[in-house]
Amino acid sequence: MIGQDVAQIAHERFGLESGELGPSVPRERLLEFASALCEAGYLYLVYISAMHHPATKNGEAEVPARYTVVYRVRDLARGLEFPFRCEVPLGTGVPSVASVWAGADWQEREAYDLVGPVFEGHPDLRRIMLPEDWEGHPLHRDYAINTPHHPWR
Amino acid sequence: MAMSAHATAHTSQAKAAELPRVPTPAIGPRANPYLDADSFEGEGDLMVLNMGPQHPSTHGVLRLKLWLDGEVVIKAVPYLGYLHRGVEKLLEKLSYVQSTPIVDKNDYVASMTNELALVMAFEKLEGCEVPRRARYLRTICAEMQRVASHLLWLGTFALDMGGALGGGTTAFMYCLRERERILDLFEELTGARFHYHMMQIGGVRHDLPVGWDVHMKQVAADIRARIPEYESMLSANPIFRSRTKGIGRIDARLAMELGLSGPNLRACGVDFDLRRSQPYAAYDEIEVHSALAYEGDVYARYQVRVAEMYESLRIATALVDGVPAGPIMGRKPIETVNAVKPPAGEAYVAIDSPRGELGCWVVSDGSPRPYRCKLRPPSYHALAALPYLLPGTTIPDVVVILGSLDPIMGEADR
Repeated sequence: MIGQDVAQIAHERFGLESGELGPSVPRERLLEFASALCEAGYLYLVYISAMHHPATKNGEAEVPARYTVVYRVRDLARGLEFPFRCEVPLGTGVPSVASVWAGADWQEREAYDLVGPVFEGHPDLRRIMLPEDWEGHPLHRDYAINTPHHPWR
Repeated sequence: MAMSAHATAHTSQAKAAELPRVPTPAIGPRANPYLDADSFEGEGDLMVLNMGPQHPSTHGVLRLKLWLDGEVVIKAVPYLGYLHRGVEKLLEKLSYVQSTPIVDKNDYVASMTNELALVMAFEKLEGCEVPRRARYLRTICAEMQRVASHLLWLGTFALDMGGALGGGTTAFMYCLRERERILDLFEELTGARFHYHMMQIGGVRHDLPVGWDVHMKQVAADIRARIPEYESMLSANPIFRSRTKGIGRIDARLAMELGLSGPNLRACGVDFDLRRSQPYAAYDEIEVHSALAYEGDVYARYQVRVAEMYESLRIATALVDGVPAGPIMGRKPIETVNAVKPPAGEAYVAIDSPRGELGCWVVSDGSPRPYRCKLRPPSYHALAALPYLLPGTTIPDVVVILGSLDPIMGEADR
């Protein structure tokens, strides 16, 4: 069940509308928003993930490539969930929420490793699944599944 | 071995989702996982020890880099990825129909629940109804799978203790013997012993063979009668108790922030169970009493898992008697690879797998392949607790703590 209390906070304090997928929080206010969620009792971090959208042409207007970082938190006492997201163009960092939820550390490392967004202020942003010298981020939409790699891979 | 709880099954109406009893925890003292090992001031130097990836007690291929002061761990850094198979990339390249057998191999000791989470996410995306008989079969399979998974955990956990128990191998062999019987049941049902491919979008693939319910109840009764034997081997053993009580303690607040789930979370006194808070499959028709412990240490996790085995056997036995008649598929048979084309949208579905909250977040763009499919493996979140749990413990405790979290690397690395 979506937490309506936070949807209200998002609307009143941040001016954001939450649909079924949750509000899209601007990156400047992401950390503030996360802290507000934590204070409202959403202590359980379900997951942080990300997806990559390649650049598309929408008629005349060109939509640049971007990352969507998705978050889902839960208030276990009331059984409420709240998803939210943050959209950034490629090359722009996303503030890390590891200072709010300790578990965000590994979640953001995984999202960075596989998808590619850089989390600013992360205490230890390294690859976690792939070797340190891996090139590219495999979950990019334009990353071919048969991308060649150095002999031993 | 009569199951006294038959009466609680088959309540005529679906009960409302109930709210868990959850403490409101404050932030307790925690270890600093980002400690600068070079700045450590003590007598002598720190020794760096690489434990794994090929180490029998790491339950797969996990590498732990430990900074040791004598035998005491100062800092621990887990290295994952030795079993990374690019499952999420693969799911983007395969169609919805082709995905189920791939996730079978993620959590290779609980394949049923892996399929279930994925298939349920696709069904939510597609808006597909699952018939009641299929939901019953899914629940029975999931609960028997939980028993099989916990039996394997109990056996390997006893093995982790090794000679300290006067032969941890005894419990290991006994547990595998019982698990074997559950695998036989699944083989009778699906034809496979490990990677079942039982769930499919809209229902289940195999109907109950004649006499399966009788076999299942016999197996459940036998296992139920034997679990007290294993308990008497382990918790009645003073060495086992002294090696597990007060070790690897994690407080409820940290467990929540890290996203620990399932038995690991319930051992911290947090009464949260997805089977009760968001009932899926047939859990809305049966009472689930999740086991709970409060200490948050290794012994508490052991207690919760053992209690869950009794509960799962009870649920499965109670359900198998009342499996309703009807179809096992809620849609027309899937005949082509691209038969499933959900409308554009997103869905997140989570189930309570033997290891905890197994979630699947799937994004569709209207094509027969997912645009993005993320799996939320409970083991990955459990392993994230290691940098907090290990500092201050000794090497023998590292083995016990790691085992108590019940990680499966195939699922954590994907």
